[in-house]
Amino acid sequence: MSGSEIIDYAVLIPLLPFLAFPVILFLGRLFNGTPTWVKNVKEGGIIALVAMGASLILALSLIREHMNKVGAANVFTWFESSWWNPETGSITTKVFGFGVYIDHLTVMLLFVAAFLCFLINIFSIGYMNTDSINDNRNHRFYAEFVLFCSGMLGMVLADSFLWLFIFWELMGLCSYLLIGFYYERPSAAYAAKKAFLTTRVGDVFLVIGLVMLWNLFDGTLDYDVLFKAENIAAVDSGELQLALGMMFIGAVGKSAQFPLHVWLPDAMEGPTPVSALIHAATMVNAGLYLVARMFPFFSAAEMGALSTLAIAIAIIGGITAVMAALIAFVQMDLKKVLAYSTMSQLAYIFTGLGSALWLANNGYDDLAAFAMGASLFHLFNHAMAKGMLFMASGSVIHEMHHAHHEVAHHGHDDHHDDHHDDHFDAQSMENMGGLASRMPITATAMFVGSMSIIGIPLIGGFWSKEGIIASAWKVALKEPIFLLPAMLVLIGAGMTGFYMSRMWFMTFAGKPKTEVAEHVHEQTPWIPIPLVVLTFMTLGAIIFAGMHAGHWLGDFESGHYTSFVDGIGYEMEHVFLNHDPFLMILTYVAIGLSLVLGPSFAMALYGGSLDGNQKAKPWMQWAINLSAKLNKKSNFDNSAWANSSLANSLHKRLHFDDVYDAAMMKIVVGFAKLSAIFDTRVIDGVIKAIESTSQEASRRLRALTTGSARDYIMMTALGTLVIFMLLWGVA
Amino acid sequence: MEVEVFSTEFWQAFAPEAILIVGLLLIFIIPNLGNSKFRIPLTKVQVPWFLGGRRFSITGSPAIPGMLATATLFTALGMMAIESVDGNMDTTTVTSNGLVILQLDNFSRFFEILFLAAVLLASMASLDRIPAHTFSGKKSLDELYDNRRQADFYILMLTTAVGMCTVALAQDLFVLFVGLELASLATYVLVGFHKESKAGAESGVKYFIVGSVASGIGLYGLSLLYLEFGSLQLATIAANWSDSTLLGTIALGLVLVGFGFKVSAAPFHFAAPDAYAGANSPVAGVLATASKAMGMIGLIRVLLVIALPEGGTDESAIWLYTIATLSVITMTWGNVAALGSTNPKRMLAYSSVAHAGYMLAALTAVGAWKWGEIEAPGDYAEAIVAAVLFHLFVLVAFKLGAFLVLGLLEMEGEVSRLSALSGLARRDPLIGTAMFIFMLALAGVPPLAGFMSKFLVIAGIVSTSIGELWMNGTVSFSDLHWVWWLALAMFINSAISVFYYLRIGVVMFLDIPEESRRKPLPYGASIRMAIWICLVATILLGLSGDTLIDMCYRAADSLNLA
Repeated sequence: MSGSEIIDYAVLIPLLPFLAFPVILFLGRLFNGTPTWVKNVKEGGIIALVAMGASLILALSLIREHMNKVGAANVFTWFESSWWNPETGSITTKVFGFGVYIDHLTVMLLFVAAFLCFLINIFSIGYMNTDSINDNRNHRFYAEFVLFCSGMLGMVLADSFLWLFIFWELMGLCSYLLIGFYYERPSAAYAAKKAFLTTRVGDVFLVIGLVMLWNLFDGTLDYDVLFKAENIAAVDSGELQLALGMMFIGAVGKSAQFPLHVWLPDAMEGPTPVSALIHAATMVNAGLYLVARMFPFFSAAEMGALSTLAIAIAIIGGITAVMAALIAFVQMDLKKVLAYSTMSQLAYIFTGLGSALWLANNGYDDLAAFAMGASLFHLFNHAMAKGMLFMASGSVIHEMHHAHHEVAHHGHDDHHDDHHDDHFDAQSMENMGGLASRMPITATAMFVGSMSIIGIPLIGGFWSKEGIIASAWKVALKEPIFLLPAMLVLIGAGMTGFYMSRMWFMTFAGKPKTEVAEHVHEQTPWIPIPLVVLTFMTLGAIIFAGMHAGHWLGDFESGHYTSFVDGIGYEMEHVFLNHDPFLMILTYVAIGLSLVLGPSFAMALYGGSLDGNQKAKPWMQWAINLSAKLNKKSNFDNSAWANSSLANSLHKRLHFDDVYDAAMMKIVVGFAKLSAIFDTRVIDGVIKAIESTSQEASRRLRALTTGSARDYIMMTALGTLVIFMLLWGVA
Repeated sequence: MEVEVFSTEFWQAFAPEAILIVGLLLIFIIPNLGNSKFRIPLTKVQVPWFLGGRRFSITGSPAIPGMLATATLFTALGMMAIESVDGNMDTTTVTSNGLVILQLDNFSRFFEILFLAAVLLASMASLDRIPAHTFSGKKSLDELYDNRRQADFYILMLTTAVGMCTVALAQDLFVLFVGLELASLATYVLVGFHKESKAGAESGVKYFIVGSVASGIGLYGLSLLYLEFGSLQLATIAANWSDSTLLGTIALGLVLVGFGFKVSAAPFHFAAPDAYAGANSPVAGVLATASKAMGMIGLIRVLLVIALPEGGTDESAIWLYTIATLSVITMTWGNVAALGSTNPKRMLAYSSVAHAGYMLAALTAVGAWKWGEIEAPGDYAEAIVAAVLFHLFVLVAFKLGAFLVLGLLEMEGEVSRLSALSGLARRDPLIGTAMFIFMLALAGVPPLAGFMSKFLVIAGIVSTSIGELWMNGTVSFSDLHWVWWLALAMFINSAISVFYYLRIGVVMFLDIPEESRRKPLPYGASIRMAIWICLVATILLGLSGDTLIDMCYRAADSLNLA
């Protein structure tokens, strides 16, 4: 640990949103029925914005100070407790308090979380406050929103796995509340339950892992003790691997990886800002953060002892990457495509982390740092792009809704059709099409975001994704079993190109498929702000790449270059003209798959020109024109594919949900029934017995309080006698 | 520094107390100001006299006494707080004819702050709970009654405060007794203040009768002490305690009864639930916090200053088993009785009995440390006493806070059943949450102040029971001193108590409000403010109580236990 300077304002970063939570919750109800401009304040949006803004400013200042150093400090001491340790005979002092631990990983995630939470907050004010369905419950939304953000910020800053776990669970709770925000819809309630229970499975393992870790390291979970190389070297690496493996299962649940991925698509039942929050800024990153935090264990443990776990992490990542991409091929719901894309991209990061951990554990420190940097840089790029994509999809859905209202009122003015909401799916891409000219800002944001996710050269995710694929192959050359994930991520690159392009062209290109889509136009205030900001952020990732963000993230010790021109030259050369011919070929294969193969198929199947009188912005028009050409020339017959059994099972999400449900019904419910019998008969019996006995005792004792002063004096006299007898006994 | 009574230095040192008395007198005088004139006998010259006659409308306003009392208490508390929060106080002793009467030090100032804080919060709450009807127009008979007795109520409140301060300062058991009775008599009347309600009048009288008996027994004990030692000076008795005969032991037993009633230790607690249930809630809150602390001062003075066992002699540890037994009986009785109690005020009363038991357990540990069975550094004892003081202080935050919430509910009708609280969280989420936090604090849930106080007490007892044994290497379970069992009893009792505290939460959050309580809660600005103060203190003192803990340590230090 270099330096442990006091950073006491750091505690404010999670604390401010945490304090805003009760304020919004309680103030929210005070102003029902006030005009709109008061409403924004009333419903807590502005209060939340102020809190998040303050957090962001503090976070930026913290980041500026701690850009290049590792620091840990106890910022708040609740109390200290010393006890005597019978084994060692020494006195142990345990400080109960909250401390912050800052390194490059913290700095990056802190920025991602604080920045995106702030932008999503802006977006929410536009999205939530203009929807009549949210009236009188928006304060709940904002209250839970700030609590969620506080959980993420706290988790990132915390200086021990214990606090990490506390904030982790706080996020779990908030995700449950927010996914089930429209609790009157059975599907939302179901989705909330599903998300909570699925992540719970992972959390149980996380707790087991933490307890094992606690035991291994003599009763502490503080990073600055755990990450000391000599402490790690001292523990049994087999047990360490088991503990870390358990913790990894927790991360699998939180980051929605195979086989605990089933909750993520259903989580789309929450309002769109929540989807953005879960998928970009907070929840899913938590699992990645946890795995990334394990890095010191791998680099300091016995050589090769933890390889199995690293391989498992990479394989899980690889499988998820392809599986999620496959399912995304057939999704019609705009948000669900994005959900599966999140799963797939997170899987990339897991594969990258797996490679990094393997390399670290086998002594290839430079390569490990490179892989780590690429993975974390991908986390950053993905968070920015995915946040933008979700907000853009929210923008589309919101405007579709509005347009639908207009159309419905126009058409059915005579007979008030109140049920129109039930028949029209504003999220289905089958109802969209041709929106590129009608929603220029949103379409641009989606365009750039999709390119970043696909990994189109020079834009956002390209830099990091190439790094991940290259790292996975580097490991594969050394360890044959790694060929599986390495192959999978390479295939996945092409699949990403297909489904992301499919989504964009179905939504924005071609002719409007419904009347509603013709009436869509961008009109909601607040929403475009974050879209524009993030568009530039994603495009600007090239600058970060030039500044060697990957190297900086990967190597916690060394500094970073700041000369952008040199840096970008170096990076370009490194990617496109690598001195290692194998890596160079690999790069071009990946580029070919993701840039050419995937998108061209998507364009051929789903492309098309806009309405005659409509014209998109020039940077999108060429793509639309190209797609129209490809579409005309190819004349694919889509029906064979659509009717295939693979497509069918993809529609059913590869039957995972069915299998889980069946397993639930057979095994878990059966076991639950058995437990219920035990619970009602035995446990309740005991408790009821205790309860009735104590109530009876209470009744008898209270019966002595007769209410008559005479009896009280009697008892006083009796008590005096007792005192005398006791004193007498001693004397 | 020694000062003579009523010298200049005396007034400088005792300015806050003087302000209390001035405030008290002002409440007597100001409402009575009028245009009366006094005719000099045998002449026709009329001199304005200003007392009586037609009252001036400004000074005669029924709201004046409450405001005056609150302002007085606030000023006095402010002066004390500024003086002592961040510094060591100089010890000032007041002597008269060679006898030490009062002593102003960290210990007494700490308790004075506690008393004034409790009474101030209660009087703030009473501004709404016993409202003065200042609006013009015809008033009902009840409202006229209320207006007439405003002055009485606040005079009694201030008298209680003055009496309690005297107890804190007293260095002579006789002075201590006078202060105790001054405060007690005022509280007897306050309990029965609503004499038109049957419960109020009955409980006031009952409290008075039982209290008088206990005081009588205690006073008898004091007279025996005087017989034994020829003096009631704390210092004198303490110095000669080791030579005392059986008479001293008997006297100690009798004195314990007197103070036992004040802290409502079982089996002297019987009048307490009745009194709390009959009194209006702010007053009950004062009884449960400040009045109990007053009794604790008595016990600390008698047990730890006078009869603290001398090292090694069995003879002097005479009260150890007595207090240990009483403490276990008290905490268990209180908690078990509270389990089935359906009247929230009685429930809180029993819970306060249980809290008395915890504190008695702590006192036992201090005694055991000094007995010589335990070899431990002196700061263990100091730590436990500091923990007790901390506990007493934070009780003002959450126990009084809980009573104030009940007071707010009382403004719309009698609170004698648990169902009066039903749906409180729905009717007023803020107040409901505040009440829930008070309950959690009472149950000792971290990170609230209640957790901290219980933690400090239990940690103190346990480390005393281990003592310096760890120096030898391994400690086996059988080596531990028996006070360890008191910590265990406390632990089990805390677990039992969670049941009835959380039941309040269940009722508030899940039940549907009673028919008569469907309207929004009455507003009451100052009672709500008092509740907020309690709430903030409950949370903040739990999270970072360093300042207060330091104060407690300084106070414990000035007892010179080591």
